[in-house]
Amino acid sequence: MRTLGVLLRKELHATFTSPVAWVVSAVYLLVAGYTFSLSLFFSKVANLTYIFHQIYILLVLLVPVITMRAFAEERKADTLELLLTAPIREIWIVLAKYLSTMALVGGLLVLSFSYALVLLIYGEPDMAPILGGYLALFLLASLLVAVGTFWSSITENQVVAASASLGTFLMLWFIDSIAYLLPAPADLFFVNLSILGHFTPFVSGSLFLSDAGFFLTGTLLALFMTTRALADR
Amino acid sequence: MVTFDRVTKRYGSFTAVRDVSLKVEAGEILGLLGPNGSGKTTLIRMLTGYHSPTSGRLSVGGFDTVDQPMETRRRIGYVPESHPAYGHMRVREFLRFMASLRGVAPKAIPAAIEETVEALSLGEVLGKPIQTLSRGYRQRVAIGQALVHSPDLLILDEPTNGLDPRQIIETRNLIRGLAGRRTVIMTSHILSEIARTVDRVAIMLRGELLTVRSMAETPDLEKLFLSLA
Repeated sequence: MRTLGVLLRKELHATFTSPVAWVVSAVYLLVAGYTFSLSLFFSKVANLTYIFHQIYILLVLLVPVITMRAFAEERKADTLELLLTAPIREIWIVLAKYLSTMALVGGLLVLSFSYALVLLIYGEPDMAPILGGYLALFLLASLLVAVGTFWSSITENQVVAASASLGTFLMLWFIDSIAYLLPAPADLFFVNLSILGHFTPFVSGSLFLSDAGFFLTGTLLALFMTTRALADR
Repeated sequence: MVTFDRVTKRYGSFTAVRDVSLKVEAGEILGLLGPNGSGKTTLIRMLTGYHSPTSGRLSVGGFDTVDQPMETRRRIGYVPESHPAYGHMRVREFLRFMASLRGVAPKAIPAAIEETVEALSLGEVLGKPIQTLSRGYRQRVAIGQALVHSPDLLILDEPTNGLDPRQIIETRNLIRGLAGRRTVIMTSHILSEIARTVDRVAIMLRGELLTVRSMAETPDLEKLFLSLA
């Protein structure tokens, strides 16, 4: 655990001093804040459904930009060789990268709690969809960060890592569309791979263990694949 | 101290290292000499655990590099050819980070850093970010991170590459100064550097180990190399 702490400190410093992280954070806060203000003033309805979907899109677009440097930068600077020849397990290196990125993305989601606070002060919102929505955003962020970290671990080119991550996220977003062309039970398989399909029930206040399990399983699978990618050399 | 036992490394149909067997005694300085692409870096990367051998076994201090990687890595200090370091870190911070990763107890870290700084004359740049240092200082920092945990075995990949004549002499003296106290394996494709620095030389070509000779018994390394190559 001490090793994880040492690596995590280094990763947090690298993440929070990266200009990319600050630009991405600024874009996220600007767009989310703008959308929240508009939807509140136009609809005058105390719910965040629209905002949650807006943040969903922002995460799909912005997480690849944050995760692209995770391993690609280390590989290019040859510092990955220092880490991989030190007496530490690959899983600690992967977890430190994942947790530091989650600290940034999670921090952005926590800042958006202010929208719920505004609704609580000035209205009487139904809290179930709001709590479900935030839980869904954290689960979604976890999956996206893990997948983005995986792509970064297999290339030294940050643009390639970001493009592969974005492509994967978009495929997982729209993959259920192909189900209309497929016979049962193949259609069900593709419907169940859709991240939007597992995200939407949370936002409407319905919490299913299977939806949470999808995000958590995907996160663990991506972290496992990242560890294998590092170990396989 | 170090044993290579019939070590082979293949990448698909390409064989980078073929059937290498070699022993390195404790306190000895061994030079791996060969042209670029002869398999020197691949061989030492297998020793550090960065690559796994396709077949054969490697051990450090009696521990197998594949079955007991943590044990072997604790005993190794490694300086890759490009002298990598985290440029944004200050020298002291980087040495502390690497000492922690290599398992130096927190209380022992300040003394370990002090000893390393003294040995490598890094005192005047200790508080500077690594990315602002000259190439010579960056190389010293890279050697420092490899020595900070007092390893039994120091591995240097092309340690004098890109250095000016003064820095080359300093590096050579530093390595010679470790003789007897540490086992050192260094690679180089420069005959004169190997001749002036090591106790024994192992000559590699196209992934094969051609010969291992004591420098005391090899008055003309150039002649020997040309007769083999």
